[in-house]
Amino acid sequence: MDLINHLYLGFAVAFEPLNLFYCFLGVLIGTLVGVLPGLGPVAAMSLLLPATFHTTPVASIIMLAGIYYGAMYGGSTTSILVNIPGEAASVMTCLDGYQMARQGKAGRALGISAFGSFIAGSVGIIGLILIAPPLVDFALKFGPPEYFSLMVLGLTILTFLTSASMIRALMMAAFGLIVGTMGLDNISGLARFTFNIPELLDGVGLVPVVMGLFGISEVLLNIEMKVKREVFTTKVKGLLPTLQDWAQSTGAIIRGTVLGFFLGILPGGGAVIASFVSYAIEKKVSKHPEEFGKGAIQGVAAPEAANNSAAQGAFIPLLTLGIPSNVVMAMLLGALIIHGVTPGPLLLSQHPQLFWGVVVSMYVGNIMLLFLNLPLIGFWVQLLKVPYSILFPLIILFCLLGSYSINNSTTDVAIMLIFGVIGYLMKKISLEAAPMVLAFVLGPMMETALRQSLIKSKGSFSIFFTRPISATCLILAIALMVIPLLPWFRRPGIALESEDVK
Amino acid sequence: MPVKKTFLINDLIWIAFAFVVCLGGLKLGFGSFHSPQAGFMPFLAGLLLGTLAIVDLGQGFLRKWERDKSDKVIWADIHWGKLLTTLGVLILYTVLFSTLGFLIGTFFLLLFLYQVMERRSWTTVVIASAVTTVLFYLAFKIGLDSQLPRGFLGF
Repeated sequence: MDLINHLYLGFAVAFEPLNLFYCFLGVLIGTLVGVLPGLGPVAAMSLLLPATFHTTPVASIIMLAGIYYGAMYGGSTTSILVNIPGEAASVMTCLDGYQMARQGKAGRALGISAFGSFIAGSVGIIGLILIAPPLVDFALKFGPPEYFSLMVLGLTILTFLTSASMIRALMMAAFGLIVGTMGLDNISGLARFTFNIPELLDGVGLVPVVMGLFGISEVLLNIEMKVKREVFTTKVKGLLPTLQDWAQSTGAIIRGTVLGFFLGILPGGGAVIASFVSYAIEKKVSKHPEEFGKGAIQGVAAPEAANNSAAQGAFIPLLTLGIPSNVVMAMLLGALIIHGVTPGPLLLSQHPQLFWGVVVSMYVGNIMLLFLNLPLIGFWVQLLKVPYSILFPLIILFCLLGSYSINNSTTDVAIMLIFGVIGYLMKKISLEAAPMVLAFVLGPMMETALRQSLIKSKGSFSIFFTRPISATCLILAIALMVIPLLPWFRRPGIALESEDVK
Repeated sequence: MPVKKTFLINDLIWIAFAFVVCLGGLKLGFGSFHSPQAGFMPFLAGLLLGTLAIVDLGQGFLRKWERDKSDKVIWADIHWGKLLTTLGVLILYTVLFSTLGFLIGTFFLLLFLYQVMERRSWTTVVIASAVTTVLFYLAFKIGLDSQLPRGFLGF
């Protein structure tokens, strides 16, 4: 009964005209940044974060969430038609989606991708509704040791799954932790690594760091090399999948949805990992694995379903524990804090209209996305024809003004440029930015939890191993670090890199 | 297989950086395990980074960086001129942003950016830069109420 009341509240909030408008705006911008290569959901969310200061917390989170799952839809269009992923979670869709387009099946690829995304997104929302509330009761048992251990586990999972070299991914996480310590110490109030720059007393801002690492660095990479784009625009027809398409894709969509949702919940998981793993699994279970990479429709359906359900699942740790499971969720955490809302176990009881309003708006947003992505596909295709030489000055300008307008400070712009160069160099030598950003966001929380735990235990690290939840998290984290040392073990990132990703 | 200098230098930079961070952490005050101070976390994070970088370096020498891209692949075919000029212009824009003001600074920045990847006629570029500047001004100043600098000319 409670659930029905909550859903009723959610619908009432989501259907308020202002929230509907922001939901539409979010999914529209999400589709746009998903379609356009070079500007992903993280950069778009950081760009628009300052714009949300003028509206209500509910409307702003609805919009920012819409950008995230909207980008999951939009990203597939570029992958299928141009063979360039609009955002990272659509990398796997390129492999078979583009081949389908080359064979004149672009419409069917786009269609199954949109329907698969819709089904997965909708199931993901139901999962969120069913799992989040009971998890809140569990989350109330968390103290500083549990929070610290869970964050360690989250970072370990991310480094384990995302990079070819776990050591280098862990190095990036350590770098993120260091950057996160800049500014005033939470406990003693002492200034750390501020170099007498007053703007750094509050620490380095998330928006300049993210815009630099994901926005400016991408532009710099595109300036140095010319990417050839061949758009299959004339063959986009027959967007409704045939019965045969459905028969071939149903299993893939179901598997992708379930896998994506649970990988999304995992701290350190997320849409990118979900799409990679679901593609690999689909190839494994297929009777014709040799067709993968040559236009197999399952190779489009599975990763698209996985990245969309993962996008919904990722909200669970943020909304129930207050821990962002990936970089996008870290942006949402920042947005919630800016609006005076503390995410965590008490969010559901203190701000039910926010929780249920955002959850229901996701369903509304998914329906909007279906209409945005199928009947309006022609519009997005036209947009793909905009040359990068026109697009990139706009991306740079958005990044510059976005960083500046947060504090009206050119220091933030300078920080963004510095991280732009760092991000560029990191990309050149294949160092992952995601563990760095997640550690940067989690760093201050981890530090507080670690120091509080140690003060409580009078300096004994046994506190992390004598409490069951904390011990479980740490044992899992240690296991993940040890597994790659085993001689027979092939890490997923390496396997995918060598076999599938060209 | 030859030593891949890029990865060797990369690890050495991280080791040096980690060393500086550890020193900074100690200077801030490590405290003790039962009473950690402000330098506690930076020191531990620096120690972790340095240790991992040393392990990565060791692995590199042992495995001859077999999984890494070669120096040639990483640094070949880069338009250094375009890249460094763009970076230089962005730095200049940041430094002069408050002095020149949003309108003038952004107009000149766009003049450069619209030309850097593809040569176009100056008339097109001037018009495109002016229109883009005004649109961004309207979006940020009027739409989002951002405090954009006026510059020495007062607009």
